[in-house]
Amino acid sequence: MNLRAFKGPAAAAALFFLAAAGCTDTTVAPKSTVSDANVFANPGAYQEFLAKVYAGFAATGQQGPAGSADLAGFDEGFSQYVRLYFELQELPTEEAMIAWGGDGDLADLNRFVWSSSNGYSSIFYSRVFYAVSLANAFLFQTTDDKLDSRGVSATLKAQIHTYRAEARFLRAFAYWNALDLFGNVPIITTVSNATPPQVTRDSVYRFVVNELNAVKDSLPASTASNYGRATTQAAHMLLAELYLNAGVYTGTQNYAGALTEASEVIGSGAFTLASNYFKNFTADNGTSPEIIFPITEDGVHTRNYGSTTFIIHAECGNTLDGSTIGIPGQCWWGLRLKPQADTFYYQTTADHPAGDLRATALYRTGQTLAISDPFNFGQGTLLLKYSNKTSTGANGSDPYFVDTDFPVFRLAEAYLIYAEANLRGGGGSAVTALGYINALRDRAYGNATGEITVGQLTLPFILNERGRELIWEAHRRTDLIRFGQFGGAATYNWDWKGGNQAGAAVAAYYNLYPLPASQLAAAGGQYTQNTGY
Amino acid sequence: MKRGRYVISALLAVLWMVPLRAQEPGRVRGRVVDDATKQPLAAATVTIGSRAAQTGTDGLFVLAMPAGSDSLRVRLLGYAPVVQAVTVEAGQTLVVPDIGMTQQAVGLSEIVVVGYGQQTAGDITGAVKQLSVEDFNVGNIPTPQALIQGKIAGVEVVDNNEVGGGLSVRIRGATSVNASSDPLYVVDGMPVGGTNAGGGMSTNGRDPLNFINPNDIESITVLKDASAAAIYGANAANGVVIITTKSKRAGAGAGQGATIEYSGSFSAASAVKFENILSAAQFRAAVQAQDTAALKYLGSANTDWFDQVSRTGYGQEHNVTVSGAGPTSGYRLSFGLYNQKGVIQTLSQQRMSLGFNYDQRLFSDRLDVRTAIKGSRTIDGFDPGGIVGSAAQFAPTQPVYDTSSATGFYDWPGNVLTATNNPLEIANLAQSQATSLRSLGNIQADYQLPYIQGLKASVNVGYDLTSITNQYFAPANLDAQQKNGAFGSWFRGSNYQLNTVGEGYLNYAAPLNVVPGRIDVTAGYSYTTLHAEFPGVSLDSLSNSLGFNSTGNFRQSTARPQMSVVDSKLISFFGRVNYNLNDRYLVAASLRRDGSSRFATTNAWGNFPSVSVAWRISSESFMQDLNRMASISDLKLRAAWATTGNQSFQDYLQYTTFQVSDAQSSVQFGNSFVPTLRPSVINTAIKWESTKSWNLGIDFGIMNQRISGALDWYVKNTSDLIFTVPIVSGTNMSNLLTENIGNMRNTGLELAVSAQILRGGANGLGWTADFTVSHNANKLTHISANGAYTVRAGPTIQGGVGQYIEINMAGQPINSFYVYQQKYRNGKPIYAPADSLLNAYVDQNHDGIINSADLRPYHDPAPKWILTHTSNLTFRHFDLSLSLRAWLGNYVYNNVAAANGYYGRFTDGQYPVNLDADVLKTGFLTTQKFSDYYVQDGSFLRLDNVALGYNFTYRGSQMRLFAAVQNVLTITGYRGVDPTAGINGVDNNIFPRMRTVTGGLSVKL
Repeated sequence: MNLRAFKGPAAAAALFFLAAAGCTDTTVAPKSTVSDANVFANPGAYQEFLAKVYAGFAATGQQGPAGSADLAGFDEGFSQYVRLYFELQELPTEEAMIAWGGDGDLADLNRFVWSSSNGYSSIFYSRVFYAVSLANAFLFQTTDDKLDSRGVSATLKAQIHTYRAEARFLRAFAYWNALDLFGNVPIITTVSNATPPQVTRDSVYRFVVNELNAVKDSLPASTASNYGRATTQAAHMLLAELYLNAGVYTGTQNYAGALTEASEVIGSGAFTLASNYFKNFTADNGTSPEIIFPITEDGVHTRNYGSTTFIIHAECGNTLDGSTIGIPGQCWWGLRLKPQADTFYYQTTADHPAGDLRATALYRTGQTLAISDPFNFGQGTLLLKYSNKTSTGANGSDPYFVDTDFPVFRLAEAYLIYAEANLRGGGGSAVTALGYINALRDRAYGNATGEITVGQLTLPFILNERGRELIWEAHRRTDLIRFGQFGGAATYNWDWKGGNQAGAAVAAYYNLYPLPASQLAAAGGQYTQNTGY
Repeated sequence: MKRGRYVISALLAVLWMVPLRAQEPGRVRGRVVDDATKQPLAAATVTIGSRAAQTGTDGLFVLAMPAGSDSLRVRLLGYAPVVQAVTVEAGQTLVVPDIGMTQQAVGLSEIVVVGYGQQTAGDITGAVKQLSVEDFNVGNIPTPQALIQGKIAGVEVVDNNEVGGGLSVRIRGATSVNASSDPLYVVDGMPVGGTNAGGGMSTNGRDPLNFINPNDIESITVLKDASAAAIYGANAANGVVIITTKSKRAGAGAGQGATIEYSGSFSAASAVKFENILSAAQFRAAVQAQDTAALKYLGSANTDWFDQVSRTGYGQEHNVTVSGAGPTSGYRLSFGLYNQKGVIQTLSQQRMSLGFNYDQRLFSDRLDVRTAIKGSRTIDGFDPGGIVGSAAQFAPTQPVYDTSSATGFYDWPGNVLTATNNPLEIANLAQSQATSLRSLGNIQADYQLPYIQGLKASVNVGYDLTSITNQYFAPANLDAQQKNGAFGSWFRGSNYQLNTVGEGYLNYAAPLNVVPGRIDVTAGYSYTTLHAEFPGVSLDSLSNSLGFNSTGNFRQSTARPQMSVVDSKLISFFGRVNYNLNDRYLVAASLRRDGSSRFATTNAWGNFPSVSVAWRISSESFMQDLNRMASISDLKLRAAWATTGNQSFQDYLQYTTFQVSDAQSSVQFGNSFVPTLRPSVINTAIKWESTKSWNLGIDFGIMNQRISGALDWYVKNTSDLIFTVPIVSGTNMSNLLTENIGNMRNTGLELAVSAQILRGGANGLGWTADFTVSHNANKLTHISANGAYTVRAGPTIQGGVGQYIEINMAGQPINSFYVYQQKYRNGKPIYAPADSLLNAYVDQNHDGIINSADLRPYHDPAPKWILTHTSNLTFRHFDLSLSLRAWLGNYVYNNVAAANGYYGRFTDGQYPVNLDADVLKTGFLTTQKFSDYYVQDGSFLRLDNVALGYNFTYRGSQMRLFAAVQNVLTITGYRGVDPTAGINGVDNNIFPRMRTVTGGLSVKL
């Protein structure tokens, strides 16, 4: 051995240290996912991105039925848009009662005792604004400048212009829910981490109306080939909803606007009443001629634990095993009617004679009418309105995840809006209004025995008829507020309103849900809570 | 004296290489060894006149001296000084015989493995504890961390009651909310990184470190305080656990030939306790009284479902090792088999492990190359579907078997979703298994550089490779599959991870004549990469009942391929200086600079400094009288400050990525379905979480260390918590964002005392006892600027699907329970139906309504005090050890009782489920709010382990017979299965704890 023996290891060590000191780049870019740098190299990505804006209402994440959730910190299945919207719009009213006491504060909605930390109203707020941020992200990535810089073809660019109108419609739709349920929320139209300022309910209303007016003519007309998409008619229908409730949202009524927009929808000729009322709620309701705007679900391709999968599973149990609604053995034992909703259908009055076929959805076997224990599914009438069977009695494509779409807007409601706006002085023709109502009644009774006279067409009748026609379509809370029967002085109290079985009036502030406590904290004192909470 | 010859020839070789110069003074060479063990002693100070040197890890020293005679003095803390005369001629090198030193203060001279080096225990300035083979727990020990459970003050080891079970280790409390709170593990100098503690990928519920055969472990060092851990910088905030495997060093026992050792044991385990549920008779009576509609579903059987699903968990373990050493090389080869069945059917673990350590010295001992390679194959059997929960809930009036059913097992008729699954059907027909291959290996080369005495270069290159194949199968005819609509499921995931580490560092232990005192400097560089792949495919709607290992021909309707790839790297520079002046004043300072790919480039780099000082008062001259009077053998004050980091969380948060949906989550456009593209949530500002710590400590020893111990006080302030919090909705692509927000504080006290109560000697009774007391208090000091954030936390609980029972809130310990306050009458919780909740719960905000605004934080799962005791008794050939552990102030949410503790549970579905026996006490009729009634005190005292050994010699071979019982006895007021219900404090039908009896033999040939 000699000195040369040292040189090898010594040189190696020196080399190692030199090489090491030079290696200080910490960057590791993601490999298995696409980034915003390369995602739009694929022209199909624009449609897929738009699909996500829609999916914000239908799905809960990137993996069906669950596994890659959009929202965190809450059970994925519970976080679905329609499921939460349904719960917030129906559970406080006489139309629904949920039996799941173990599910934290969901049951608080049954009884009008929610707080600003209620998990369900809070996560719905997040879900609504998630839809907003998806639309904003889509709009941010599809400006003309960006499209040009990526060399997008003229054909695709024209297509993307329509996509942008759709994204703006969907954002407006989400904002309608936000202003209806939460009122004073921030308006966010850009992609930014900055805390956006809170604005008044009135400002949100004007923003939504302006947006819809701006995009309605850029949207395609409703055809079978764009089923599930935002259309001009859907925009008119949403405007009708906004104008109908303008008095609640802004203090200034606009029934004429509601009547005009409803007339636009009816007059478009794109929709007709389905001959069978229940065709709108079956596994094949995608072929109903009546649905203006649905949130689509599919047993194979759009799987989650929300939307109609939630409603159909939750509506059965006890003596039912679910076979009759296409989900054999799969009942979740959840939803029933409070007694007053049962009364809509069974009460025989001059303007509601016996024979209403819509009442065939009610199921009383083994159920008590009254609910003394909210958590006992054996109490309260069941309603088998939604089904995973097709209109011809066949089962849906999957015995667990349903094919049934949630009908957000359908022609029947356009008729009801027309009639109500007419009664409230919005113009139009009383004869036409009566004709629309009787068209619904003819269908409901299968014959003319359910028709009413012009004298029977009153506002209280409209509220009842909306209950019968639109039950469990997530309109009830909004309707009761518009009719002055929800929070505040009301002549109408239902069981468990106000926290106990007898029912009691509740404070007017319940007409809005509270802003989530987490939002107030995150905004660092910049947001003001809704009055009363 | 064969060994001596080797040593001398090695010395001569060294000598030969040193360039000779004329007119040189003489030299003295030698080796310092422990007189009793003959093992080399490192860091002994050797002086001749004014010249001094220190021995290396091999005990060797070389010292120049002028020609003539002088006294050679050797000093080492914990040993009696040695003085001997030496005479040397000019130019001559005198080789003195081995200098033996006699231990004086046991413990202080022990070599402790620390980050990038080792130190003698007495020189350590931080809070560090090392345990070696003789301190480890005995019995059926599947994972390394279990060896030190209940042994070290401030170290909490929580298991999950599974075989090979997932262990969580908390050193001085949790420091993070959403990043990991598990320590960094360093195995044979290899930091095993990754987002999981233990580095490798974990298979659900099992510990990633269980690939290491505990029998191969020589020592485990826990760097508790930040000053000791800070050399590991960004990964050190939760403390560091250094695992060193057994090896045979070159020259150790050279020429004695190979040593063969065998140890084997057999064990049997049984469940300590099951959840207290209604018996068949009680269940029958309850249904008759509360749910007459369900009377028709009452069968005539009397089935004890827990009895059905449990079994005696037999296990065996065999280890064979071969080791040997020559003058320049040493090796150790080990082979281990571990096979254990759980006490619940389907739970099992089989492990086959190999270990190879090799040490080679080259270039006349200047270069020391050590290799450690470990590999194992583990086959884990998992619970394929809620067996314990189903056993708790299946009606005890129903039979186990039913010849008319599709599977031969009894199922409730009609495939009803809400009906409980037959746990035995699942255990027998469904299967969930993982085969894990993991290998960890590294080569470390230490090279004594020429020309500069005391300068050493080290290079460490290693890999950590994990490959796990997870497979799940449930046949189509299983009732559970019919009910959940999957109609037969099959899943296979083949996860793969490769972690590579390259490190180089220089160490300079200055010769004593360079500066006053002893100085030791280390500086280095480290480059770590991690690559992981997660491919998988799941199928359902299997057209026929295929077996678990069927290959191909799945006529499925739904296939879901998954794939993701994750890469990360960590680049580090580090340095440390240790300074020891006269064994009285000790100073250590270190700095690490880490760059991580998990953060955007602007935040990628972080600095982690530490400073610690110690003053050994007992070595001061003014103490000598007192030392004598009070028999003080050691008294040292320590103070330390450091900043450490935490980066154990997800990758790529700073990038916007798009994720394509699978085919089951697409959207209908007209008549077609379009997959969706989701932009990810993004935080470009994410950075390190950093923990600043203070530690003050006293080490003490009296009566020549017969009683010794340490008292430590610490405070750890974590800032920039990596915390997933709600954001202003609409401002990012999710509702929650992982941010650096909030501060957390852990403060605590630790006391450890070791006492050699009886010395025994060869024939008498010997008794050593160890006691530890540790206290930790955790508090989230603030979360946001206005402190108003609350974030629901902890695991989701059963019953209420997807509900959280814990909260993170400023001013409270992390994961505090968040519950309603139950009211009581005559000691019983008041039951109230839905419309009179005010009678049952406290209206915290006095608004006349009981709702979620009335929830309040109430206790938390972490123990406030942990007390441990270990006794080791020896008498002639026998030894007996026992360890006791107590936790005080830990709370558990008994969700088994909460979810099934009311009669209304009968009407939640078609068929009645069995109830928790708690209902007999409360009489609750309907479901109750999540209340503090179910947050139960989990304080306990447990006799963890009793082990008895008998040592003897048979035909010249050393033998040892041993027997051990684990989980002997637990005294607790907690009403559920186990007060250590996992680290999260939520008892959700956890597996029962195992009481294991082990007997075995070890032989040394």
